[in-house]
Amino acid sequence: MKTYEVFLKREGKDPFTHAGSFDAPDEEMALIYARETYGRRGEGEQMWVVPRTAVLSANEKELAMADRDHKHNDGLRVAELRRISTGEES
Amino acid sequence: MRAWRDMDEFEGFLDAGGVVEPNDEMPEPYRQAVFRFIELHANSEYMGGLTERDWIPKAPGLHRKLTALAKTQDEIGHAHLLYMVAADLGIKTREEMMVDLLEGRTHFHNVFHYRVHSWTDQIAVAYLVDAAALASQQAVFKNCSYGPYKRILRRVIAEEGFHMRNGEEMMLLMAHGSNTQHEMMQESIDRWWLPAVQLFGPDSRPNDELLRWHVKSERNEDLRDRYVQKFVPQLLACGFTIPDPGLEKDQTDGKWKISPIDWEPLKQTMRNGGPDSARRISDARNAWNNAAWVRDALTNQPAST
Repeated sequence: MKTYEVFLKREGKDPFTHAGSFDAPDEEMALIYARETYGRRGEGEQMWVVPRTAVLSANEKELAMADRDHKHNDGLRVAELRRISTGEES
Repeated sequence: MRAWRDMDEFEGFLDAGGVVEPNDEMPEPYRQAVFRFIELHANSEYMGGLTERDWIPKAPGLHRKLTALAKTQDEIGHAHLLYMVAADLGIKTREEMMVDLLEGRTHFHNVFHYRVHSWTDQIAVAYLVDAAALASQQAVFKNCSYGPYKRILRRVIAEEGFHMRNGEEMMLLMAHGSNTQHEMMQESIDRWWLPAVQLFGPDSRPNDELLRWHVKSERNEDLRDRYVQKFVPQLLACGFTIPDPGLEKDQTDGKWKISPIDWEPLKQTMRNGGPDSARRISDARNAWNNAAWVRDALTNQPAST
């Protein structure tokens, strides 16, 4: 048995979303199980079924934002500068 | 993968609304407690699915047979999803959980330890028991700190909602049917009211770990009380009586108060010593053994003899 992960996409612009996992003996059965387990009430119009071993996961450290503040702008400085430019007391 | 220095730090994380994922280094007591809880839930869905299956051939009419069929698939499906989530905690494999259940070493909810005598019993199970199970699942879903369980509960709850609605529909048909139907339904309510109320379990202990770790978010007694406030008026409105001579409406707060529950028989039942436990477990074992050839065929093994 091999473990598979299922991703479903609903209609419209929603992205694929992880639905869950299950075990299946082969790819043919994997598709049948995936549909019967996660898609039997029209939960999605598209489905990806991926062997768990094929999913690479990045860890928290690799995804940490600590040194990447420059990729965001939280708007606090903008607010401060707006206050100054309109002469409001902060 | 995250790790915590000690239990205090971990509990702080949970108190702040933190969600634990399977590859986190969670403290062992938390892993064990979450696993036991999910395993019990999975076992209950599995045993419930088998009961449902028994009624497919006996359900009146094609439509009811089809809904019984769909519900069976849902319940077995829930077990399937929950066993996956439990197995990922790395304590037992799915196979080990099945064997433990079929050998009577692990447990399942009280409501699946009694005989279902009639079609109206089956309706009472769908209406009263499914609603109780749904209420307790919703209380877990609301704020569950274990991510995979919370995500899978969303699906389980949506499907249990269909079952409960089917149950209510059938109960109402019986309530407004012939005298015989009404009486039959009353007999089934008499049999299933107490087991349904007991599904919530005795009052939560003050130091309940599952509450402290935000797996459950409501106390058993609160869930039970809310259930009573909802179902007593519904049953009375349908012209049924509640099999509890001590039941009364409190004049000060207008709430229904049930008689104190003797939990001793329930403890025995939960240890697989209920009136129908042995038959149910051996029935489940037979079903598992009789389907061995299907599992063998799927894995391309020579059929076991």
